[in-house]
Amino acid sequence: MPETVGVEYTKVAEIKGPLMVIDGITKASFDELVEIETVDGERRLGKVLEVGFGKAIVQVFEGTTGLSITGTKAKFLGKTMEMPVSQELLGRVFDGLGRPNDNLPDPIADKFLDVNGEPMNPERREYPTSFIQTGVSVIDGMLTLVRGQKLPIFSGSGMPHNILAAQIARQAAVVGTKEDFAVVFAAIGVQYSEAQYFKRSLEESGALRRSVLFLNLADDPAIERIITPRVALTVAEYLAFDLGMHVLAILTDMTNYAEALREISAAREEVPGRKGYPGYLYTDLANNYERAGRIKGKNGSVTQVPILSMPADDITHPIPDLTGYITEGQIVLGRDLFRKGIYPPVDVLMSLSRLMKDGVGEGKTRSDHMEVGNQMYDCYSRAQEVRALSEIVGRAGLTGVDLKYLDAGDMFEQHFLKQAPDENRALDETLGRAWDVLSSLPEGELTKIKEKHVRQHYKGK
Amino acid sequence: MVAKGRIVWVSGPAVKADGMSAAKMYETVEVGESKLIGEVIRLTGDVAFIQVYESTSGLKPGEPVVGTGQPLSVLLGPGIIGKIYDGIQRPLDEIASKSGAFISRGVVTTPVDMKKKYNFKPSVKKGDQVGPGSILGTVQETPLLTHSILVPPNYPAGKLTDIAGEGDYDIEHVIATTDKGGEKVSLKMYHKWPVRKPRPYAERYDPTVPLVTGQRVIDTYFPIAKGGTGAIPGGFGTGKTVTLHQIAKWADSKVVVYIGCGERGNEMTEVLVEFPHLIDPRSNRPLMERTVLVANTSNMPVAAREASIYTGATMAEYYRDMGYDVVLVADSTSRWAEALREMSGRLEEMPAEEGYPSYLASRLAEFYERAGRVKALGSPDRAGSVTLIGAVSPSGADFTEPVTTHTMRFIKTFWALDTRLAYSRHYPSINWMLSYSGYLDSVSKWWQENVTGEWYDLRAESYHVLQREDKLKEIVRLLGPEALPDEEKLVLEVARMIKIGILQQNSFDKVDTYCSPQKQVKLVKLMVKFYKEAQKALKAGTSLADIRAMPIIPAMLKAKFEIPEEQLAKLEDLDRQIDDQFRKAAEGAAMTEEAKVVA
Amino acid sequence: MSSNSAMERTINKVLSQKEAELISKMDAAYQESLNNLTASRGKLEAERTRIIESAKKQAENLKRQIVGSGRLAVRNQELLIIENAVNNAFEEARKKLTASGNKESYRTLMSSIIEGSVSSVGSGQVVIECNKNDYDLVKKIVADLQKKNPNVQAVVSDQPIDVLGGIRVKSADGTMTYDNTLDSRIERLKPLIRKNIAQMLRGET
Repeated sequence: MPETVGVEYTKVAEIKGPLMVIDGITKASFDELVEIETVDGERRLGKVLEVGFGKAIVQVFEGTTGLSITGTKAKFLGKTMEMPVSQELLGRVFDGLGRPNDNLPDPIADKFLDVNGEPMNPERREYPTSFIQTGVSVIDGMLTLVRGQKLPIFSGSGMPHNILAAQIARQAAVVGTKEDFAVVFAAIGVQYSEAQYFKRSLEESGALRRSVLFLNLADDPAIERIITPRVALTVAEYLAFDLGMHVLAILTDMTNYAEALREISAAREEVPGRKGYPGYLYTDLANNYERAGRIKGKNGSVTQVPILSMPADDITHPIPDLTGYITEGQIVLGRDLFRKGIYPPVDVLMSLSRLMKDGVGEGKTRSDHMEVGNQMYDCYSRAQEVRALSEIVGRAGLTGVDLKYLDAGDMFEQHFLKQAPDENRALDETLGRAWDVLSSLPEGELTKIKEKHVRQHYKGK
Repeated sequence: MVAKGRIVWVSGPAVKADGMSAAKMYETVEVGESKLIGEVIRLTGDVAFIQVYESTSGLKPGEPVVGTGQPLSVLLGPGIIGKIYDGIQRPLDEIASKSGAFISRGVVTTPVDMKKKYNFKPSVKKGDQVGPGSILGTVQETPLLTHSILVPPNYPAGKLTDIAGEGDYDIEHVIATTDKGGEKVSLKMYHKWPVRKPRPYAERYDPTVPLVTGQRVIDTYFPIAKGGTGAIPGGFGTGKTVTLHQIAKWADSKVVVYIGCGERGNEMTEVLVEFPHLIDPRSNRPLMERTVLVANTSNMPVAAREASIYTGATMAEYYRDMGYDVVLVADSTSRWAEALREMSGRLEEMPAEEGYPSYLASRLAEFYERAGRVKALGSPDRAGSVTLIGAVSPSGADFTEPVTTHTMRFIKTFWALDTRLAYSRHYPSINWMLSYSGYLDSVSKWWQENVTGEWYDLRAESYHVLQREDKLKEIVRLLGPEALPDEEKLVLEVARMIKIGILQQNSFDKVDTYCSPQKQVKLVKLMVKFYKEAQKALKAGTSLADIRAMPIIPAMLKAKFEIPEEQLAKLEDLDRQIDDQFRKAAEGAAMTEEAKVVA
Repeated sequence: MSSNSAMERTINKVLSQKEAELISKMDAAYQESLNNLTASRGKLEAERTRIIESAKKQAENLKRQIVGSGRLAVRNQELLIIENAVNNAFEEARKKLTASGNKESYRTLMSSIIEGSVSSVGSGQVVIECNKNDYDLVKKIVADLQKKNPNVQAVVSDQPIDVLGGIRVKSADGTMTYDNTLDSRIERLKPLIRKNIAQMLRGET
């Protein structure tokens, strides 16, 4: 952090929405951090969105409520927004802008990092291949998570995404290793109770002292949410690539983040893309989501599990849609399964893990793993088709094989998918249960599995 | 005169500078104290509007802007193959060696190693007349690729006054000089070419040779020709990238240029990790020896995303000019269009549909127009091609959005990826009812001459089954499959077999990932034969249940991955088994008939 | 008679049948209750294991939680102690700075601060503010500066400000302030210096 002198300006030309326009600017740079002092002496932070022709447009993170044209001072700090980082961040709780929120002093920084980060060079990335066992059958068996992956949970209001995320955070382990792990949790506009649930869950598993929490709650300033994932991921990158830890970063709820972005865009009167979201929503989301992965020659990793609620359960809404284009798969929670009382209510047909193929198989998990996963998809997809059909034509209109699929579908949900939030299943158990389901089908139906694996594991007649 | 101005305004990747009256449109400029690379995209009075290819964080009014006098260009010469570049041809390995695992700003690099020596073999001699595009000689760029040294297309024709003898030279070495009316020109092993200007050629040919990709649904059902254009639109999770990787891996082209435009960082890494270990089935050399990567991942500066497409296209044309077949894969053109939209928004241009600029369609047309099979400039005579394949990422998987609809106007092969197929794990999720190929007729001659004359008919017959199934599905949806007569139930069964045994292809299976044209035809032939035999058997009284229970069915469905390319004779076995099993079924049916008669 | 005996036989037969039936029913009932017993014993067993398991789990959780929270509390206490020490160190530094007002090094520093600040603010009339002690010094430096460069239009304000040292430059219309007081410099450097102090306290350097 070079020592710079801040220039303070008082000529506020306009305040609109989360923005403040300042006149008479002679020294300011794009993206510069600004400290705003209200008439009452209250201090807020902002950053420069646009500068030129003697004017600067500043986005105020804590909102412009209470700011006035006269008497407001804006000090340009000569640097971009930074987060102090050091090992002692572990076990700490911060607000959405990275300031202490736990009655403890400012962390003593090892260094100060620009919260925007820099793009990871694809040439230096290490391709993620280590299987993380989450102990959740549907994830381990069919949607395998690997270290350095970004795998979001697409949820809807009221569904148990937080319980699932907390279960992953508690149980996730790379089998046969004892390496340093850490959890970075960013609450973005969520309710106090949800953040509290997560904190308690970490506490109970003894992981709180290996966690860093950033809390922007529902009643905290909305624009601050633009920064929350950035400070969290800056810390995650530091823990992973400077300290060599395996970091699981959970960001919830990215929908609130995108909404804050839309608010700013609207205030700037930009030409909107779909549903009023700015045209650069994709790039902006990517700047957060791409901050996951591994680096050649370094020990640590950042695995990201962002959570977002799909407005009206609509997966084609711009936020889940653009997220899905960036992340390496998605875990989609289904309303129907949720209503049936099945936990975790993962709609496997809409879910996907793009990196599964590289994390499983001979030498990594089990040689039949990938094929079993594929066949389970096929099985459940057929079962769903038959279910829909049977609602119209009744069981009588179905062929013998169809009926088998109908039963296999039920077994899939009850025996394989369903498990308790504190149940930690080893991979062999998960695959065993999968074979139980597949063995209820005639052998000839297993078209995605090699002959030798069928011979080895098939339990049916 | 070089333009020298200063910054007056900064907003994201957009910068305005005054004092720039000497600047030219699309000129490359150095922006700010840290000399960020930018390009002039509008001039008003002495104010230049510049898009900056690097992060502008910390840039401030008052900093200098200096013109380079040159349009955005790429360096063309040996050393490109096997590299991974950013959107403006900076090698990512060199950036990494200078700035570490994360990409910093203002890193200065050279596109290829200027000091590496190549063994040059001249193919012309002193006194020869050479023109634009003529080949002066060759160097071995990779074990897989002989690189022709070309006279730049914009150089005058003239007589060779000097040519280097065979020997090792670095690419800065002057290897030839020409003389035209006293004007002396020195030629090196490389030249530069502006990315936005298509490289000229002598003549355009019709695309008649298919690009064999080893993917059954593409080669057999919706082929693309060398020098043709194709688009692959699909929502997220439909397997766009996997399909494109498959094409990049297995297409029978000499060079592959893969542009990762606004996509995931790990996907580029995957190519970098995988391609050096994958062996080209035709040359037995690692695929990386024919591949160039251009990576502007989704978190890299947005303006360079716009340039990356042109950077890739220009390199592809360069290898085409040597007389090679080149495939250019752009994943994804939607991100490129979004980059256009973002810059257009900052320029405050009047937006058209969904905020995209009104010139979106013409830019897309210009891009796809850079495809083609051509006769190259200069001597000797040679033909090369650039096949352009663009991914489209329609928002909400909605094919009526502007990028998809405009793209469809300019391409001839359309591989529509289907979210529903992907949800049921039917990969590649190319929807056979929505996709089309405009090259079907023009490539059938190639199949006839190189594989078999039956291809066209087998394709049509098997496709007909799929079409009938599509219609029958409506009835099934309302009444259930049992409501259909046996003949139609058979159509459903065979369609299921074609879907599993032919259309679905597992990219991650060692055997199934590549399927030769010979194997493709044989597999389709088995299906068609089975269908015909089954129809006959049904008429002769065999029950559908007996047909469904035939052990040949799972064997046919697993043939794609159980029978490798070197054991294709096993497919003849299956052919015989079809005969056997139907014969037995017929005997059984006759016996039951007899039993009925007796009773 | 024969009819009687026949009847007797029938009755006997029926009786024995009933008896067999009854016995078999009893048998079945017995078997069933036996089965039930074994089953419920199994269930009971399972229930018992479940309860024990879950209690174990809870105990384990509780243990982890207590140990974890305990360690965290200790660490946090340490953070507070260090913070205290750092603040004390800063207070000391401040006091020393106040006392250093008349040293030669301070004069050189002031003149470079003033020169830098005035040129940073740019053209136009500026007002320079400082504390009471420095008033004469600043006036002298500004006068020297104007001798060197007549373009400098600077006035030293006679309203003293309450700072340790250094100056604050304002544009004439007051819309722009350039704060170069020692107080604000310390504030800016504090995060960096804290690391050094903390390292010394922990004995790391």
